[in-house]
Amino acid sequence: MQEEVKTSRTRAGSRVTTPILEAIDVSKSFGAILALDGVRFDLCPGEIHALMGENGAGKSTLMKILSGVYADYEGRVLVDEVPVQFEGVRDAEAAGVAIIHQELNLVPELSVADNIFLGREPLIAGMFVDRRKGVQAARQLLGRLGIELDPEARVSSLRIGEQQLVEIAKALSINARILIMDEPTSALSPGECNRLFAIIRQLSLEGVGIIYISHRIDEVMQLSDRVTVFRDGRHIWTRPMAEIDESIVIAAMVGRNLSRSDVARPTVSTFNTAVLSVRDLALSVADRRGFKQVLSGVSFDLAPGEILGIGGLLGAGRTEILQAISGATRGEVGGRIQVDGRPVTIRTPVDARRLGISFLTEDRKTQGLHLADTITDNVSLPLVGRIARFGIRNTQAERALAVDAVRKLGIRASGIAQAAGTLSGGNQQKVVIGKCLATDPRILLLDEPTRGIDVGAKSEIYDLIFHLAESGMAIIVVSSEMPELLYLADRILVMSEGRQTGLIHRSAATEERIMQLAAPRSQKTQHEEAVA
Amino acid sequence: MTVMKLVSRTKLYWGLIAIFLIGIIWSPLTSSGKNIFLSSGNLLDVLRQVSTTGLIATGMTAVIITGGIDLSVGSLMAICSVVCAMLLTVPGETPALMLGVPSVLLSALVIGAWVMRFVFLNLEKSRTGISHSRDLTLDRVRGVYIPALVGIVLGAVLLFYLLPQSESKFGVLGVLLVVPAVGLLFGAINGIVIVAGRLQPFIVTLAMMVTALGIARLTAGQNNAVLPVYTGSNATADFDILRSLVFGIIPMPGIFFLVAIILYAVVLNLTPFGRFVYAIGGNEEAARLSGIESGKIKIVTYAISGLLAGIAAILYVAQYRQGKPDAGAGLELDAIAAVVIGGTSLMGGRGSLAGTFCGVLIFGLLSNILQLHNINSNLQLVLKGLIIVGTVLVQERNAREILARFRLVFPRRARSEASGEERPRKETMSLNTGGNGNETS
Repeated sequence: MQEEVKTSRTRAGSRVTTPILEAIDVSKSFGAILALDGVRFDLCPGEIHALMGENGAGKSTLMKILSGVYADYEGRVLVDEVPVQFEGVRDAEAAGVAIIHQELNLVPELSVADNIFLGREPLIAGMFVDRRKGVQAARQLLGRLGIELDPEARVSSLRIGEQQLVEIAKALSINARILIMDEPTSALSPGECNRLFAIIRQLSLEGVGIIYISHRIDEVMQLSDRVTVFRDGRHIWTRPMAEIDESIVIAAMVGRNLSRSDVARPTVSTFNTAVLSVRDLALSVADRRGFKQVLSGVSFDLAPGEILGIGGLLGAGRTEILQAISGATRGEVGGRIQVDGRPVTIRTPVDARRLGISFLTEDRKTQGLHLADTITDNVSLPLVGRIARFGIRNTQAERALAVDAVRKLGIRASGIAQAAGTLSGGNQQKVVIGKCLATDPRILLLDEPTRGIDVGAKSEIYDLIFHLAESGMAIIVVSSEMPELLYLADRILVMSEGRQTGLIHRSAATEERIMQLAAPRSQKTQHEEAVA
Repeated sequence: MTVMKLVSRTKLYWGLIAIFLIGIIWSPLTSSGKNIFLSSGNLLDVLRQVSTTGLIATGMTAVIITGGIDLSVGSLMAICSVVCAMLLTVPGETPALMLGVPSVLLSALVIGAWVMRFVFLNLEKSRTGISHSRDLTLDRVRGVYIPALVGIVLGAVLLFYLLPQSESKFGVLGVLLVVPAVGLLFGAINGIVIVAGRLQPFIVTLAMMVTALGIARLTAGQNNAVLPVYTGSNATADFDILRSLVFGIIPMPGIFFLVAIILYAVVLNLTPFGRFVYAIGGNEEAARLSGIESGKIKIVTYAISGLLAGIAAILYVAQYRQGKPDAGAGLELDAIAAVVIGGTSLMGGRGSLAGTFCGVLIFGLLSNILQLHNINSNLQLVLKGLIIVGTVLVQERNAREILARFRLVFPRRARSEASGEERPRKETMSLNTGGNGNETS
């Protein structure tokens, strides 16, 4: 590593162009957790600099510092070799730093143009919003980027991939010289990805420095000029593309050999009786123009002990399947669901619980946890009524549930009375899983079970899932991370635009095959359909 | 710092103590030099005065903890006071009877059935032992038929008890049965509309506030809006019990208030229902997905709020010897203010009836102090407003934060006050802890 540091220093010294952005010895901690430990990073004009690392490596934290979201950190940030201290996002924007976050930050009810100029609307006489000018400027900007979008279209009517492009246009509308992109392709189809890459290359030719964060190594390989790897909040190395290949990057990211013991999963033929069987599952949810079908024609069987993976792009209807099965949705569910061979109707989460179905939601903070409440209160919540004696809560049994969950799942906390919101992401997730398991389900639905948690907790959760499956639980896992699906699932159901496009066996599943099935049909056919 | 923590945690009671001390020090004295404020007569009078607001605030607390609000309680109290006065004074088929009897029947049906189901469920639970694995389900006979039958029988019994009374005039017990049932029904309607229509509680209860006022006026009749109740002459003399002193010291309304608030506090703290009330206010989506029937729970909180408004109305009629459509005007706001002063968050999920008790007393003592000094009633309103803002400000910001801000604004003074060098460092640390719970990725 000593050697690596030296090489990057000499390179920086010999560089003709001076960096437009530089972070030196930046540290940042959240409570007791050190998220960044003296990292450095630099960016030159017109450069595409990829930042890589596993979840929890500190990439997003550094980007939030560079874009002014976090103002309290240690270390220095230099723009054009001048030290700066951003107090907020506005400061960073004024310095020409724009960020596109992993989650979309658009107002769905506003038009594309309104979103692009949100908070910076062109005004008439300094008082009234000049819509026409805004639309014109937006059209110009979109044209320059080669994005074919109607500036007057409502954002909610666009597909996720198109919304991503609006985000980019919005970021560039402030004349950014430094553009930070955090996982911009996680919701895009291959075609949309290529379009995005073309735009990124063009921007770099125009002299915009781009910090590109992605999990997808192949993307980084074909796009970037330099790569920096973070691990556990530390800077590992920065190297030009010519010096590295995929295996070097992976080794640096992982740092150790994650001995993923190749689990001996039973073959599908051994699964015979289905505990859950779904036919032509459909879901319509209410929206402004009446009902909108978000799911149709989903059919599968699930046997005890089987792990079914559900893949697809963001917004393809993966979560909706779980919502429809678990009674979590408020929409209209169509199709037939059978549990143990008996047809059932599941309208509410209570119905689902009666049938032994438990649902781990995608967003633990808004849908899973009571952040201000203790671990005990969270874990015992579904059972408080059931274990009460003659209408009086049985707090002893409630605590026993929590103790049990903490022990079984290895939740690291000061005690069962610790507030859930003060736990780390991985431990929060374990608390929610503990809550799901408290009801002793036979069918477990997991939506993004490892989102936003560190590598260690991740592999613990994988082990747990395998263990639960072995004990005879039927499990469905929705995941955006392809390797996760391939690792966990016995079969993978692929969704695209609300439709089931494939159901592949573990042995036949590859990333390419899944991507192919997940890709939306071209917009052209969609348009034709709309006309017809 | 532990002292600070203690102060912070008990700040509710500090406000109460402070206002009490102000009352004592500032109190006028009798000719014999006795402290008027501190006399048992005066303090018990305060308890009597706060009882109505207190009952309403008790129901309001649970509603607010679920993240809702009930603006209709004042109007519900008006309806109930009219119904109460009419039942007491007018014999025969009055509008009050038309409103009251169906309410009693519906309430009896629902409550009777629920109690029966509750008993069956718990018998089943003790038979099978506590099992985590499956929800208990009752068969049709014990789950539906018998409870329904019990509800119908209960309703019939009450009907046979009440209808003969309507020939003449209602007695105390009859009124105590019918009037709260009217409140319960209207409250339940609030809850059902909010839950079934997925509407804002603010709007629904606002609509109910207007509607109920109209119904109260229609019931009372346009011409004699005030229904006087003279116990002994036009109504039963027994009704005077509700304004008497128990054991010659404690006013009856105070007993009602104390029993109601203690019972509800027990329910909120010790029963699953209470746990769910907090869970819904804390994060309704998470609660719903955990299999909590949030709709039912919310309907019950609004129904109980209405029920308590009904009880408050009876006490109002006993106290002021009249029922009228503007009986509870503005009461909902007093109750909300008392709840908020008691530290319950309007965002839901946080609060307690102990706090509400303090809030109600702070309000009552304040009015009492100002009245003892004959301060202009309009000025009293201004002072009340200021007190609300002041106490809530203290409730929302904790003492440590206020201190930290103070040090930020006046750093030099703080440093000269601070002993040793450790202080400034601690200060920055406590300021930084604001950003916990952040995700690192």
